[in-house]
Amino acid sequence: MTIKEKGYSHWEGELAEKRFPWWPITRFGIRSTFRKKFFKIFFFGSLIPAVVFLVGIYISERLEDFRSMIRQPGDFLTVDPGYFKSYFCGDFLLFMMVMILVFCGAGLISDDLKHNSLQLYFSRPLKKNQYFLGKASVVFFFLFMVTLVPGLVFFIMKLIFAGSLKFFVTYPWLPLSIIGYSFLVTLFFALYTLFLSSLSKNRRYVSILIFAVYIFSDIIFGIFYEIFRNQYFALISLKVNLKQLGAFIFNQKLPYSIPWIYSLLIIFSLSLLAAIYLRKKVKEVTIVK
Amino acid sequence: MSIEVNNIHFSYGKVKALSGVDLSLEESSIGLLGPNGAGKSTLLRILLGFLTPDAGEGKVLGYDIKEQQSLIRRYVGYMPEDDCFIPGMDAVTFTSYLGELSGMPRQEAMKRAHEVLYYVGLEEGRYRLLETYSVGMKQRLKLAQTLVHDPKLLFLDEPTSSLDPQGRKEILELIKDISSKRDIQVFISSHILPDIEAVCSHVVIMNKGQIAAQGEISKLKELKYRLYEIKLKGEALGFLQRLKKMGCRVEETEDMIRKVYVRPDKNPQEIFRIAAEEKIQIRHFVKSQSTLEDLFAKVVGVD
Repeated sequence: MTIKEKGYSHWEGELAEKRFPWWPITRFGIRSTFRKKFFKIFFFGSLIPAVVFLVGIYISERLEDFRSMIRQPGDFLTVDPGYFKSYFCGDFLLFMMVMILVFCGAGLISDDLKHNSLQLYFSRPLKKNQYFLGKASVVFFFLFMVTLVPGLVFFIMKLIFAGSLKFFVTYPWLPLSIIGYSFLVTLFFALYTLFLSSLSKNRRYVSILIFAVYIFSDIIFGIFYEIFRNQYFALISLKVNLKQLGAFIFNQKLPYSIPWIYSLLIIFSLSLLAAIYLRKKVKEVTIVK
Repeated sequence: MSIEVNNIHFSYGKVKALSGVDLSLEESSIGLLGPNGAGKSTLLRILLGFLTPDAGEGKVLGYDIKEQQSLIRRYVGYMPEDDCFIPGMDAVTFTSYLGELSGMPRQEAMKRAHEVLYYVGLEEGRYRLLETYSVGMKQRLKLAQTLVHDPKLLFLDEPTSSLDPQGRKEILELIKDISSKRDIQVFISSHILPDIEAVCSHVVIMNKGQIAAQGEISKLKELKYRLYEIKLKGEALGFLQRLKKMGCRVEETEDMIRKVYVRPDKNPQEIFRIAAEEKIQIRHFVKSQSTLEDLFAKVVGVD
């Protein structure tokens, strides 16, 4: 007898409150991103700096072996917090992070708005914050893969290649810097992406916005700086603000002579505005029209 | 009682949406009717736990509508009116995904998704991307996602909207089958009154934020009158006025047939007597069944 002929049948299991009710959202987001054309190329391309820096760490511990190949006298490769800052605040990595956002983040909310899926989510025992966390975790996953994970791997590999804890004793705060900066940049980019994704029902527009806002903020800074020669215009650029904070967190000289706190305030304010807007834009109550 | 609310009040700013709604429902299939702005959506939102009432109290499936909103949504199924899906998924992934969000273990959700998709008749297309689904298939899919976690109470919002007659019939049959289970209740909000009549045993009619009528459809339809359809020839004004004086309600339909509601204490032969006195010919006289539409029109006060 087929199921249809048998009629409706009950499920024997028990519904339970899950510890991470948002996890299915994240899992689906990660899987669907990997299914996108060209994403794997971009994603693995964004890991190239990590490989290069890792090789650098290896070479720095085997300098004697490579001495014959080096013409430059003295320390040509020093692994210190500045080395880590160079990785995290490199233009290429930041650019690749934005490209990852275009792939994994553009449709996160805009697709739900376009296809009226919010009502499907919120008719389940899912709270608004859990929905956002599920969506933001997709961004967290991909950005941590190019920030937090390589950063910690660098640190551990440095200790392994050195065969001593001297590096850790010298810079005991460095793991915290790696974690702190990774969280800061990832949280900012997650809110930035979710905010832009909630502005339109068309994921293509959102993709363009994610890319354009990042690039144009830097171009506008460049234009104003050329005209007025005032470093404070650097605060317009998202990239520069992240670099300023990176330099501060890794205890390095700031690239622009502007207090780092201004950059923090800008990044924090933008994140806060994005969070407020998201809470207002996505309303659970609108599911019943 | 699966739904029990007492003296519910709710306002959107200065606009009063619900005022003093009392409901106590345990029937297997209940229809929710009312004109636009009657407060149906607000009531559904409160029952689903999206809005907290300004005043009053209530329980859905034994869970408090003010305190245990999340638990309510765990055990109810909601089928939205709108066309809604998650792009990039096939039907099995979609249904099991929503089962998981309801609190089902992943493997169980997947197994159950196959079952409910078979049940709603989507076994053939269950691995197709949802973007390629027809309107009818999407409607069935919405029903499948409503059923996946085996809810005890279903809220179906216009379940047959935009379906062809065959699709509509099949969905109604499925709803009838579900509501035939003693431990599942179905609460249907629809503008298609024959659908409600076909599926529901009970009805709640709302008007201006209040319950205008509620009860068993067959009993409500009996009401306190008998219905006759008549066709007249001649100047009917005086005749109709005398019928109204007699206590009958008269409605004119588009094809010039008049529906006359006669109170049970009145003899229908009186109609012929008055017609003779007013020199009116009655060309057609049929005792008719009152429909839910008649009841709705009477309760809500529209023709």
